[in-house]
Amino acid sequence: MHMNIPACYSFAIASLAPLQLRSAATAFRLVSYPSPRVVPTSLRPSVCVGNNNSLISNNSPATSLRMMSYWNRETCQPTSQYKGEITKEARILALCDPHDAYNKPLYDGPLPEGSKLLAVGSTLADFDNESIINQDPNVIFVSHPNARGPLVELLNKFPSVEWVHTRSAGVDFIASDGLFSSPVQLTNAKGMFSSTLAEYCMMACAYFAKDLPRLMRQKNDVNWEQYPVLEIRGATLGVVGFGDIGRSSAKLAKAYGMKVLGLKRSIPESFSDPYCDEIYDMKGLVELVQKSDYILIATPLTEQTRGLISKEVLQQCKKTAVIINVGRGPIIDEEALIEALTNGDIKGAGLDVMTVEPLPKDSQLWKLDNVLLSPHNMDMTLSFMQESTEFFINENLPRFVRGIELLNPVDKSAGY
Amino acid sequence: MAIISRALGRHAGEQSRLSSLAGLSSWSSCLNRTCSLNYHSRSISSASTPMLKKAWDTQADQYKFWNREESISGQAQMMLDMSPESIQKEARILCLSADDDAANNPLLDKLPFGSRLLHVGSQSTDFPDKLVDESPNVLFVSPSCPHARLILPLVLAKFPTIEWIHVRSAGIDFLESDELPWVGKKGIVMTNAKGQFSSSLAEYVMMACSYFAKDIPRLLKNKGAKKWDDFEIEELRGKTMGIVGYGDIGRSAAKLASVFGMKVIALRRNPEKSEFDPICDEVLGTGRLALQKLMSVSDYVVCSAPSTVETRGMVNADAFKASKKNQVFINLGRGPVVDEDALVEALQNGTLRGAALDVFATEPLPADHALWDLDQVLISPHNMDRTATFMHEATEFFVNENLPRFMLGHSLLNPVDVSLGY
Repeated sequence: MHMNIPACYSFAIASLAPLQLRSAATAFRLVSYPSPRVVPTSLRPSVCVGNNNSLISNNSPATSLRMMSYWNRETCQPTSQYKGEITKEARILALCDPHDAYNKPLYDGPLPEGSKLLAVGSTLADFDNESIINQDPNVIFVSHPNARGPLVELLNKFPSVEWVHTRSAGVDFIASDGLFSSPVQLTNAKGMFSSTLAEYCMMACAYFAKDLPRLMRQKNDVNWEQYPVLEIRGATLGVVGFGDIGRSSAKLAKAYGMKVLGLKRSIPESFSDPYCDEIYDMKGLVELVQKSDYILIATPLTEQTRGLISKEVLQQCKKTAVIINVGRGPIIDEEALIEALTNGDIKGAGLDVMTVEPLPKDSQLWKLDNVLLSPHNMDMTLSFMQESTEFFINENLPRFVRGIELLNPVDKSAGY
Repeated sequence: MAIISRALGRHAGEQSRLSSLAGLSSWSSCLNRTCSLNYHSRSISSASTPMLKKAWDTQADQYKFWNREESISGQAQMMLDMSPESIQKEARILCLSADDDAANNPLLDKLPFGSRLLHVGSQSTDFPDKLVDESPNVLFVSPSCPHARLILPLVLAKFPTIEWIHVRSAGIDFLESDELPWVGKKGIVMTNAKGQFSSSLAEYVMMACSYFAKDIPRLLKNKGAKKWDDFEIEELRGKTMGIVGYGDIGRSAAKLASVFGMKVIALRRNPEKSEFDPICDEVLGTGRLALQKLMSVSDYVVCSAPSTVETRGMVNADAFKASKKNQVFINLGRGPVVDEDALVEALQNGTLRGAALDVFATEPLPADHALWDLDQVLISPHNMDRTATFMHEATEFFVNENLPRFMLGHSLLNPVDVSLGY
């Protein structure tokens, strides 16, 4: 099932992302839908959460409260001033690698008023001492890759913990029954990496459209042979998982002149997004895949999405389709994908994530010509993890100590 | 009818402008369905923004230039269909092109009522003398015609009744000769295919930027060696793109760059024309200092200038000396605009991080040219605008857009200033 979005309504309805002022004074600037350039920095609103710095007009039907509470690195301005008294202290345990340079802002400080870092460690043993227990830690910051088990142990050991924040967007690495059944609030780094991954998505589309492998081969052979290229303009991008990453990619795709089809697990009542031409729910996956020239997989990894792109789904793709995965490897049935690529059932794939990382040397993916492989680094800018840590320190910590609603809540029942 | 459509156009035009700025192509398509007689998106601001007036044809109440993405097609043809009696003159067409050029098929198949194709030839002797009596008034020139620069003046001398020359490509440097300025003085109107290829080339620009930012060469090398090496990549967001020659192609690239979050600095002959352009952050005029300033602040330089007497060799050793550190140079205009030796030198001594070149001084690029051996160069054989239908579309633009306008006596789209060379 899918809905056609009447394009003429999309302008009238306020956007989903925190957006511009609707005042006459700035009306002349509001002509374009979020272009970071058009809205001058001074007018760009900070993140709109609840009643603090709220600049979204409340008569925007498309925005649910959940939608308003997310951080997007492109459109959100750092909060410069926090209103409200500090009502509680933040006593933080860092379940991280103590030598992780990206966490320097956390380890070295200074931390915002009312917060202090109690200890850094990777297992329960690192935190199991009198002084820490006596201080009743209430916040856990997680970045260690092997944190799944220790996190649950910590939650059991320290019932005073109210809030767990993870430095990554994906929470699949710490997902467990113990975590999801505990009463703690969970927040993540959603929106931190979206624009970089959107750039990768368009690069992967161009890689196949302009046949970059052929260019490199011809250069190697000193061969000047003019061949026709495909246009990205007019092609269809199917975004499986129209979340923050999907939406950022759709924004670029729309600027290129692509048609964008989106797929969401739960479509809000009056969903309308100028970056999405048609929206599908999970049942519409096959239809989306049949219509798309480029398919972007940008869902989180949950029980629902594991193996979502199965052999049957791959067989429904166009022969000229390109699959781009920036979500998690296990969302695609890797064996079936390799088979489809080898047999020419699809044109190619751009994979930044794989089922097993690092990719084992015996994997067929290394050898396939029509695969663009990257070692899960397409969001790895010099500053990305540091920015994520800073987001925790500068945005969510001050909110926590003042009792303001936290950004980027994770829905534990949904798993993301 | 014209008044009503103009009113419709004004309203629709505003929405189109909003959508074109934000890249909401769904907007334009919605409007195309509801209001078929739309004018070009800029119509609404003509009164307020002085910059737009220069490219604005007041008589036709529209932009003088065609952009494949933004312009609405079929208006003139529709007018012709609805009221054939408004035809002012017949179009009698000669086609100067290579014999087997398939892209000219739209000319052969579906010419609008009131126009006739008299003959196709590749030299002036191919056109029988008796054709002079039929007074051909339109000359369609295709870049596939060999030695066109020598043949054109001969054809014009043979057929003095030619009023209008339409060139199927965007670049007219292939027609440059000492006799060409005489064409302009004689009052012959020349038009070209500006705007036809811009969006494909803009896609190439962003691909070339990403090629270096995400280090595709390293990715491919690691893949060949089965090496899992997660290196840090660069974002395009926040970087600066400098565009040398801010015409239609430059602007299309700037439009994409700005959505990516890049800062855009543009250089053009008439900087005042882009003063209110929301897409570029800064516009510079021509001159050595301006070019050096652009080179010094840009992370990615896009050269999309046409090849004219003024621009030849413009990007020289002097300019590269001012290059920002780790700069990437992209050329998709014409090879001669860049001093190729200086470019090779800049690549070899590390001044430039890399280059992506679609055009060269000599094409095909000679096999012994130094560029083939440089690892940090992405070479494409002048094909990055070569979609399967691009030349057909260029011919169709002539057939569907300018030919009806000619017959109705309207101003033609995409006028070329012969004295300037573009």
